[in-house]
Amino acid sequence: MEILKQKLSSDFDGLNIHIPDDKRMIISIAKESILSLLSYLKNDGYEHLALISCNDWIDAGKLELIYILSAYMADDTHYQEKEKKSIIIKTKISRNTAKFITISNLFNSAEPYERELHEMFGIVFEGHPRLTPLMLEREYKIPPFRKDFDTQAYVDNTFGKIPSIQQQKEGLQ
Amino acid sequence: MRELELFFGPQHLGMVGNFSITLKVEGDRIVRADANPGFLHRGFEKLMELRTWMQNFPLVCRINVVEPDHMELVYSMGVEKLAGIEVPERGKFLRSIYCEMARVGSHLFGLWAYANMLGFDTVAHWAMYHRDLLLDLFEELTGARVYHIYLRPGGVRRDFPDGFTDRLVETLHKIGGKVPDYNATFFENSLFKKRAEGIGIVTREEAIRMGAVGHIIKATGMKYDIRKIEPYDAYNQVDFDIPVRTAGDAYSRLLAIRDDMIESVHLIFKLIDKMPKSGAVYTKTPNPFKWTIPKGETYVRCESSRGELGLYMVSDGGDKPYRVHFNTPSYNHGLTVLEKALVGESISDVGNIMISLYVVAPEIDR
Repeated sequence: MEILKQKLSSDFDGLNIHIPDDKRMIISIAKESILSLLSYLKNDGYEHLALISCNDWIDAGKLELIYILSAYMADDTHYQEKEKKSIIIKTKISRNTAKFITISNLFNSAEPYERELHEMFGIVFEGHPRLTPLMLEREYKIPPFRKDFDTQAYVDNTFGKIPSIQQQKEGLQ
Repeated sequence: MRELELFFGPQHLGMVGNFSITLKVEGDRIVRADANPGFLHRGFEKLMELRTWMQNFPLVCRINVVEPDHMELVYSMGVEKLAGIEVPERGKFLRSIYCEMARVGSHLFGLWAYANMLGFDTVAHWAMYHRDLLLDLFEELTGARVYHIYLRPGGVRRDFPDGFTDRLVETLHKIGGKVPDYNATFFENSLFKKRAEGIGIVTREEAIRMGAVGHIIKATGMKYDIRKIEPYDAYNQVDFDIPVRTAGDAYSRLLAIRDDMIESVHLIFKLIDKMPKSGAVYTKTPNPFKWTIPKGETYVRCESSRGELGLYMVSDGGDKPYRVHFNTPSYNHGLTVLEKALVGESISDVGNIMISLYVVAPEIDR
């Protein structure tokens, strides 16, 4: 981990690297250099994209994208140190103009994750081959996984308010 | 020849689960496949942000209907990592035994689905019966047959009852004694072999490019298994092997699953032998209504019966998670690998390939 940290620090500017334990590394990076960092790590052997996730930091007005990379085994039968590690890469984009570049040409498995984030967080991934709805059926004014989406109000407005048991009893009488 | 669009599922005999595929076909050959999930989307990850750390357990286990136990495990591991809780030694063994039981049960269910889809009804009934024997044990242990909620942050809910391990060993012997029959009627049956051999091939390069895990990568010869790569609970204290195959087709994937199931049974015997005879089974955690977990983020992973299962979790220092995101193996297998594996195959093999990839729809939808 330390060796990789030194290598990354010398090749990239503006990295903030945090190592919580010997199996994880958390890298914060500016959004401009995310593609070059991901392709650098992919060429370095971290070619398994485990997850693309998103955090809505509503107070800071930012959406934080999270890419988690790990490595496949270099040797089919022997376990080495490299595949034990997972690298968490984070970058922040603006919440109001949520636009970012796709990495689906770099990792095939990124495509459904980006489609889901487009749907749930309203992020537009430029250059994505099919940014069509994946899971949801309805249209939403606020993307449903954002923190300002009020699930209770949505249920009340969409399906009608269900009266409480007390109100139901009074209605019967 | 003219191209036709064909909707396959969710109401189709060859389809297992709430999932559909839109196929472009030319005659009998598939030109393009578009996976269409979402029939079971319940928004669990959002709902979990509105419930306390312990209240989330009934939601977590419902993410994977066939195998809820590894979902409980990965969530517990995430909470433990964030809160800095250690599991006592006996608790670790109980957890591992419980998870291996779940793996055997899940593989038997998968075997049922596969055999049932191809019309091997006898094998399907055996597999369902044997899974039911395991469910009886789960019921004795936890009071529930499907959603057990036995694991918790810090260990397990309660110790095994008296004589439970004996009954478990007896049941596993009963299941293991049927393996020659399974082989003769299903795995080595030429009717089945002709349906599965050379179908839905995923090569090593494709598997790596598409980020496949679990038995898809094991069927290409790589012993990629989180139990060995990043051992959790009691897996580093026992010796076991990861069965692999090399052809990469549906048949070798199924054999990898069968061997994994047999290996799991042996693993349970080894775990029972090595288990400490007494001791605490859980670490005490704070009052669940007042439990706050320090600020932080973590990524944990374990090996479910379908492959690498991960969880990315963020805490903002409150009594609820700020963000929970599961990396379920079926998500990638169902939405990326399946679309590629179906191209060039015939319509009658769609269900065949889908089940050989072991896709479970609730895991995709979450």
